[in-house]
Amino acid sequence: MGVVQGDQMVLNIGPQHPSTHGVLRLQVRTDGEIVSEIKPYIGYLHRCFEKHCENVTYEQVIPFTDRCDYIASMNNNFGYVVTMEELMEIKVPERVEYIRVIMAELNRIASHLLALGTYGLDVGAFTPFLYMFRDRERILDIFELTCGARLLYNYMWVGGVSHDLPKDFERICIGFLDYFEPKIKEYNDLLTHNKIFLERTADVGVLPPDVAISFGVSGPNLRGSGVKWDVRKDEPYSIYDRFEFEIPLGEGEFGTVGDSFDRYWVRVCEMKESIKIIRQAIKNLPDGDVFQTIPKKIRPPKGSIYRRTESPRGDLGYYIISDGSPKPFRVKMRSPAFTALSSLSEIAQGWMLSDVIAILGSLDIVLGEIDR
Amino acid sequence: MKKYFANIWGTITTLKTGMGITWRHMINIKKDNVTLQYPEERWPRPERDIGFEHEDYNVIRSRLHVDIDDCIGCLKCERACPVDCIKIDTIKAPTRGEDIPDIGHTGVTENGTNKALVVSRFTIDMSECCYCNLCVYPCPEECIYMVGGPNSPKHPIDYEFSEFNRKDLIYEFSKPLTSEQKSELMNPKPDAEA
Repeated sequence: MGVVQGDQMVLNIGPQHPSTHGVLRLQVRTDGEIVSEIKPYIGYLHRCFEKHCENVTYEQVIPFTDRCDYIASMNNNFGYVVTMEELMEIKVPERVEYIRVIMAELNRIASHLLALGTYGLDVGAFTPFLYMFRDRERILDIFELTCGARLLYNYMWVGGVSHDLPKDFERICIGFLDYFEPKIKEYNDLLTHNKIFLERTADVGVLPPDVAISFGVSGPNLRGSGVKWDVRKDEPYSIYDRFEFEIPLGEGEFGTVGDSFDRYWVRVCEMKESIKIIRQAIKNLPDGDVFQTIPKKIRPPKGSIYRRTESPRGDLGYYIISDGSPKPFRVKMRSPAFTALSSLSEIAQGWMLSDVIAILGSLDIVLGEIDR
Repeated sequence: MKKYFANIWGTITTLKTGMGITWRHMINIKKDNVTLQYPEERWPRPERDIGFEHEDYNVIRSRLHVDIDDCIGCLKCERACPVDCIKIDTIKAPTRGEDIPDIGHTGVTENGTNKALVVSRFTIDMSECCYCNLCVYPCPEECIYMVGGPNSPKHPIDYEFSEFNRKDLIYEFSKPLTSEQKSELMNPKPDAEA
């Protein structure tokens, strides 16, 4: 922190603080209530994901990817298996692709619900949090029905998925979407258009597009700054090029483009887009065998590969080096929440201490993914 | 001045909308109530009809169970486990596929495989298990599974298996063997060979 002047104070927020969304320590230098410098300290949740991958086989990596971003495990599995299939040149059946897209988008909704709910909690709205968790529970029930697990699924495997869909999955899933769509209006009435919430978030913590790009921020945080970038559209992986959906962008409706409210609003709009994708995918869901292309032994050829996918937090990239053995030589994970957190010290300077909490919440970080 | 009153007006109206939703939920409490009083009430587990041969695939993530009479000691589950919570030791059986009544060893599995090994140790540390289900699939005899699921008549599902002592979470599935019995198995007596 350097030299501290007489009327300044160095404060530690965390590591055990409900608003840091995990185990994160923020060292802030305050002048009265104004934050003049902010420095995040990470590493409390470090579990050696990348080093650990070198000691387990390729299929055993998947349960560990679950535990990186534990809010959106399906999307983490998705990124890894997409990369592995590209490396091994496996063409998975159509049904598997559709199942994966449905699951990933359902998980995106669940993740955004948690992000929005806890963001409301951070700025002092308790009720929306409970309502959003009530609906997230229904998505987790669908996952439990499909693969038996509620949080850490290990559902997508290299070359297929671990379980086929249950018989009446279409009915249950459409039932959930029909139930959920009107609820978004309820959230908007409760939280989004609330005057107190707007005052807390609009014009707070503006992340200009050029700063966002220079920090490598991606996902809803980048789109909140008005940059049109979505890996699903711009670099389509799996079968995302078949679906029609919009990329919501922050427009500065109540303040400047790229403020906390825009980041929040992009997430609300993304849930609607995810619903659209799921409806299209269920409509076209083909029949087929989901275990057909699962290889008996996973031994990719020598080489390396980097592929990125769009997780609810942004560009999630996997870099895998294979030396021809059943264990990976190196697995590197590019975590979107890490870059989002690195921009915090830039955008939170000069704001009040309570606004720092609001800005941090709007970045939607998951510490499990940052520390890995 | 105009903005000042507009702000107040906005606050009042949006608060009214929000409170309206909350009140509506409170009036419909019978219909909208989702809270369960846990020990008295349980969340119903989803009815699983997964649409194909049920016996082959396990859709439940609960504690593991091993039918030790069917285990041939092939170590496939031990190798599949990413956290190494399964530990298996085996001793070569004196004669392949024959019962050894002294130690309760059965020679033939339910699928009709002759066992060449005696499993002297089969422990699963459930406190280490990460419930990834990876050990269930490679088993050739389908003897390791998560309870509930396809084997629910044999072992009803049980999510609540907390223990007071950590050691009680290490499940021992193999038949208990004394050290004399072990050494006897490893070094068969010369008269038995003759």
